[in-house]
Amino acid sequence: MDTHEQNQNFDTIMTNEEKFNENGEIKNEVININESAGKQKLRSWLNRHLRIKMTDGRILTGAFLCTDRDANVILGLCSEYLSENSEPRALGLVMVPGRHIVTIHLDI
Amino acid sequence: MARLMEEQNLIDMNDEKETSSYQNSFNWVDITQGFFESITELELGELLHDELFGLFDAMSAIEMMDPKMDAGMLCNRGNSKPYTFSQAAITGVIKLDGLSPSEIIGIIDSTYACIVSWLEGHSLAQTVFTNLYLHKPDQIIDKTLKIFCYAVYKIIEEIRECIVKASVYEEEDFQSVMYGGYKLQPDITEQKTISMLREVEEELHRKSRIKPVDDETEREYNDGLALYARIRFTKMLYQVLTLMGRKEQLQQNLSGCQRLLCNCSDMIQIMIKTVNRGVKADEITNHPNVMGFDPMTNQRLLPPTFPRYTKIKPRIEALEYMDELINRFKIVTKITSYNNFHGALDFFLEFSRQSPCILSRSMLQIVYLPTANRVFGVHNFSDILKDAARNFIAPPALMPKSVLLQNHQAKEFVDNFLGHCANVFGTLLQTSGHNRARQRDRLAYLFENFANLQDEAERVDGYLHALSMKGDSPRPHLACFGTWILYHTLRLMVMYLLSGFELELYSVHEYHYIFWYLYEFLYVWLVSAITRADTFILEQDIHSESHKGRSGKKNAKSKKKKATARPYHLEILMYQALQYICGGFYKALVGFRLDGRIPLPENQFDCERVRYEHRLLPFSYLLTPPPVNYKKFIEYMNAQVNKKNEKATSESQYFDGCRYFHQAKNMLDRALELNPANSNTVNEINDLLKVAKTNFIVLKLLNGGHKKDSKEPPIFDFSCHQHFPIIKLT
Repeated sequence: MDTHEQNQNFDTIMTNEEKFNENGEIKNEVININESAGKQKLRSWLNRHLRIKMTDGRILTGAFLCTDRDANVILGLCSEYLSENSEPRALGLVMVPGRHIVTIHLDI
Repeated sequence: MARLMEEQNLIDMNDEKETSSYQNSFNWVDITQGFFESITELELGELLHDELFGLFDAMSAIEMMDPKMDAGMLCNRGNSKPYTFSQAAITGVIKLDGLSPSEIIGIIDSTYACIVSWLEGHSLAQTVFTNLYLHKPDQIIDKTLKIFCYAVYKIIEEIRECIVKASVYEEEDFQSVMYGGYKLQPDITEQKTISMLREVEEELHRKSRIKPVDDETEREYNDGLALYARIRFTKMLYQVLTLMGRKEQLQQNLSGCQRLLCNCSDMIQIMIKTVNRGVKADEITNHPNVMGFDPMTNQRLLPPTFPRYTKIKPRIEALEYMDELINRFKIVTKITSYNNFHGALDFFLEFSRQSPCILSRSMLQIVYLPTANRVFGVHNFSDILKDAARNFIAPPALMPKSVLLQNHQAKEFVDNFLGHCANVFGTLLQTSGHNRARQRDRLAYLFENFANLQDEAERVDGYLHALSMKGDSPRPHLACFGTWILYHTLRLMVMYLLSGFELELYSVHEYHYIFWYLYEFLYVWLVSAITRADTFILEQDIHSESHKGRSGKKNAKSKKKKATARPYHLEILMYQALQYICGGFYKALVGFRLDGRIPLPENQFDCERVRYEHRLLPFSYLLTPPPVNYKKFIEYMNAQVNKKNEKATSESQYFDGCRYFHQAKNMLDRALELNPANSNTVNEINDLLKVAKTNFIVLKLLNGGHKKDSKEPPIFDFSCHQHFPIIKLT
């Protein structure tokens, strides 16, 4: 009796998971097909080197990891330069708020 | 892709030139416009990222331009860029020569303020090395300042070495990292440093012989004296640090140190009195305000963690800190008079109780055990522990004339055991060097080691016992080493529980089972362990006397000894008194609970069993004494409260508590009559007496029905004693 119930429970859990997986996959495909040109462009820049000039004159270079609608940018393995010709200072993972970004350059 | 190609054409030529000048490997293309256009296509809250990068990773990013996270932000604020030493020297921001004595005094005092701030856990880069003069001391022309700067290098090198070697610090205590390229002058020897300092000191001393004739020269004369005191102090501080940190001839060095330390104290008093002779001494700022100091100078050397804003101590407070440091050094030198381990251990614990600074803590460590296993660099630590065990309980195997250790196997067992003891007790001494909060954590780990030692001691005792009973003069050897280790284990357990009061970890509604555990188990076990040692020593005395009796010579002498014996009388009395005090608290707390005067946590958020088990968790490593679980505690509580089938009243609990405090007071009075040799013990007894007497009166009042209906929670005031509070009713 008990084992039978357990099996039933197990089945329902399985089916739930499957549904969830299916949903997830469908959703992902939709995103990939319908992604706008801008998003595609941003996506093509992911993991490339960016050079961001901030409002206070500092320059940050690092790998482009993430952004959002407000142009908040996350850079990985980031280095900080006080001016064009100064020594770098290692910062690691940083988030640059969009409102403090002056220019963005891409390494090609 | 087409748009990307377009943007390739938008290469900003100027930018390219700039970049190529410092980073040739990159080929930068301006994408600002494209970027800002593209992001508008994202939804609110939508993140665009790779599948390998998630929100969780994003959390750990440093937010730029947030003053709480971005240390580099301060560098570009305002227009004044921090000067380097050479820039400052060329532009005349700092003088290299012709400094007035009051300027040098200001610089010296500010440097000491930086050193003290460093010792309080800030980084060197943000404290001592904000002094530009220290960046290139060889270019300073003024001799006094130059030599002082060299000496500062040597002093911080000695301090750093001492603290790192003792290794009783955690990140909150001390930062040993040297940022950037500040090399501690290796090319200038210790002798050279001292002789240069002496030279300057004598020069200043000579000047001070010219007596002042008018106001102008009087001021100069006094400035000269103040400067002289500072250089002399610096020289002697350096000497003290080198002498105390040296492994060789430690005893002789330390007696030399005592004289130096006295002179240091004299000089620091003059420095404190003349602190106002330095320039701008009356201004109160967060950072030294005199020439040569720039808080921003090393900002870029800091690691990319949250910036720590360093507030440098005011000069006067820093000098007072140095004064206290010197006094603590004086105490540290006294450790050399403790040749027995138990005395030394008590010294360590007492020293730590006053929460000493990191440097004096470390110094005590390296003075006592300059190298592992060598006390004062001379005696074998295992031998010292052997003496300690012999003095504690006189195990037959360790007594002179004992034949037990002629057995090869027995000797090996004992030697191994003492070797393990040396390790564990070494760790115990080191633990006592940590700051008070960390000590508790580390004690919890030590119990496992002591459990292993107990096990080994039992086996060694068993082997020796079997051996001894087979011999010519059979003597029991059971529970000798075992009792010695158990005694230390119990002391640590008591320390662990009591430290929770000192660190304010327990809530009032937890007090009753902490005091119950101490009262009902730990102190009882402790008293019984010492009593066993006491009787064992008596037996040993009788035994050796009967042997000596044949020679019949020293009889009179040993009888005299016997009269003054019972070495544990005072210690037993103390622990019994403490047991009664804990009993008193326990009874009082049960009484308060019955009266509903202890605020309890909300039922649904509370589980007393979880708290109880958490508080006593470290004891679960130990087999002896066996841990007492929560169920037993509840059974005990119920049995106490519902005695003789009638519900106990709070009055009867207060009455019991009152009696316990009274007994504790009697015990303490008797202990005081024994005239304890150690002044710390006398102070402890007096503090405990005050606690016992006051609580006796409070409980007596409560027993008489005073404020019976009040639901106000009582106040536990730890100002008199850090572990045993005075109960106050409001």
